[in-house]
Amino acid sequence: MDLSVNFIGLSLKNPILISAGPLTGSGEMMRKAVEAGAGAVVTKTIANEIRSNVRPRLVKGEGGLHNIELYSDFTLEEWEGEIAYAKKHGAIVIANILGHTPSEIAYIAQKVERYGADAIELGVSCPHGEGLEGVASEPSALYEFTKAVVKRVKIPVMVKLSSNVANVVKLAKAAEKAGAAAISGIDTVRSIAGVDIETGQALLPTFGGYSGDAIRPIGLAAIASISEATSIPACGIGGITKHEHILEYMMLGASTVQVCTSIILNGHEHIGLLLDGLRGWMTQNGYESFDEIKGKALTSLKSFEEIKEEPYVSQVNEGCSISLCEKCKKACIYEAIEWTDGQVTVNPQRCTGCGLCVSICPQGIFELNWKD
Amino acid sequence: MANIREVAKQAGVSVATVSRVLNHPESVSATTMELVLATMEKMQYTPNGFARSLALNRSSTIALLIPNILNPLYPQIAKGVEDVAHQKGYNILLCNTEENKEKERDYLDMLIEKRVGGFILTSSQLENKDLQKIKNQNVPFVMVGRNIEDIDANMVFTDYYMGAYQITQHLIEVGYSKIAHITGSLNQIENLEKRRGYEKALEEAGISLQSQYIVEGNNEIEGGYLGAKKLLKSKEKPQAIFAANDLMAIGAIDAIKSSGLHIPEDVAIVGFDDITMAALIEPKLTTISQPVYKMGLIAARLLFESIENGQQEDGFQQKIFLQPKLKVRKSCGHENRVREIFN
Repeated sequence: MDLSVNFIGLSLKNPILISAGPLTGSGEMMRKAVEAGAGAVVTKTIANEIRSNVRPRLVKGEGGLHNIELYSDFTLEEWEGEIAYAKKHGAIVIANILGHTPSEIAYIAQKVERYGADAIELGVSCPHGEGLEGVASEPSALYEFTKAVVKRVKIPVMVKLSSNVANVVKLAKAAEKAGAAAISGIDTVRSIAGVDIETGQALLPTFGGYSGDAIRPIGLAAIASISEATSIPACGIGGITKHEHILEYMMLGASTVQVCTSIILNGHEHIGLLLDGLRGWMTQNGYESFDEIKGKALTSLKSFEEIKEEPYVSQVNEGCSISLCEKCKKACIYEAIEWTDGQVTVNPQRCTGCGLCVSICPQGIFELNWKD
Repeated sequence: MANIREVAKQAGVSVATVSRVLNHPESVSATTMELVLATMEKMQYTPNGFARSLALNRSSTIALLIPNILNPLYPQIAKGVEDVAHQKGYNILLCNTEENKEKERDYLDMLIEKRVGGFILTSSQLENKDLQKIKNQNVPFVMVGRNIEDIDANMVFTDYYMGAYQITQHLIEVGYSKIAHITGSLNQIENLEKRRGYEKALEEAGISLQSQYIVEGNNEIEGGYLGAKKLLKSKEKPQAIFAANDLMAIGAIDAIKSSGLHIPEDVAIVGFDDITMAALIEPKLTTISQPVYKMGLIAARLLFESIENGQQEDGFQQKIFLQPKLKVRKSCGHENRVREIFN
């Protein structure tokens, strides 16, 4: 199957972009990403003023990666060479840029356009360095930033949003109204890596951004909302470690996705695995283009009022073969699951059909069915 | 040492070709360029800078005019300018205008005569007719400081009014109502704007202005010292003082301490600029951070764009606004650091 996509006027060989971050900090690194199969690269955030990175700045937590890494180490002038180098090696380069006022960000946009960037991503939502409010967490401010950039450049402008806001839809709409070609999201989630309780010190000395598996559901929710609320393409970001996750984002409306953490943790060859998995699944399921699956799951989302109350209860399909597991029993707060002589049964009178046992069982022996 | 004619002869090209390699490399083929450069290296040829600037009618030097070299704010601008200029292979001439219009005009004349490649004018006192003179000479320039609406020029500016308004409002939020202001030299518009921001914040909070609480300083440490001494003598001494720059705030801190008073318990003090010293003195100074280094960077970038490409194709004048930012430290008496990092 042909994985190519057309995204904001760019012909990409596949929908996987490497997001702005440590993996796209130089022309050389962008070349590496493209040679490993990435459809496009989003540069590390380009700003007027460089700020050297602190050490240490990365901590792997249980569910993901914390970082307090800031912007690019290269000056604005140096990016000319870095972008040219990546492009010479076949990269489609989306420049992620940051400025603190509309006139400043528009200035940088104009510069990177001259350097040959194929598109721009506004990196105005990073949850650290600038504080929780980021640069533009107000719809009106985001509108001004986006508008200023769109007015000054001819290349498409994508706006990266964060989940660290009260209402992502309002921001997405403001960006669309200002002329954004696409919305990407989510940026990392504001976090504290943890506390060393022996010394009483935080693991990293300031607030950072959280990425990886743990934030995927947050990203999926944002993309679903953004897709429903706007008519411009969406680019899904957050916790993509398997090809299934790409499909999930697409079924909730994304046209493309961005990955970073899983590639940092598993190496560049992981891009190839994601692509193989994606191609395999699409072929196996008889799809010829991503358009056929895009937004497919959105229709299954409804408001609470629309959800019918159906008399579901849990039933056991087959016998459990893991003795002493009892995860289901421990997690059933209604005490509906019983274990007798290694046999699992559900008491339909006690079961309230919450569904937790279905997802908690490592063997998948539970199923929700209508009560007899 | 070889001269340009010898290089041309040795390379088997015309003198004009060698000159084009030096001054308009884009008009020379790669093979010729390589040949000429290799010959230059072999013959240890160095172009004569003075002769070159005469021929090109401009030199590889830009001029940076700043009001006061002793104010630690300006070296940061200079550093920003230098970081870009060095990459572009330019030198900088640094001129100290001492906020004196005549001195600034003198420099302008001298520098145009020296055929500098361009100007960066910081907190300039110049008028439109002066700037027109630079334009007539086709020398590119960039203004740094405040937004001058009626001047058509590339500009990097911040908002002094907004900064002063923010920091006065912060003092009101902390709980003070008797807030004094030591202004900068009032012949400078930026200091008038700061005073306007201070007055606006008070007015919005329903605090009536008291003339005894506004004293004029001179932008220097001494001005802050004398200003604070004067304020402490007023019938009802102020609870907080906003000094229009950090140097004067440092002078004011000295005055308050030498009067046996404590900061911020007896009198709170805040500044403007966020010079390096502001985070080092005791108590650490709450102030308004001006992105001065960045202003220098951007000003130099705009200048070199004009030098290299002439005017923008669409005649677009870049007016880039950089936001002032409140830095809450200890001298204002604010108990926690909410605004600093937890927000």
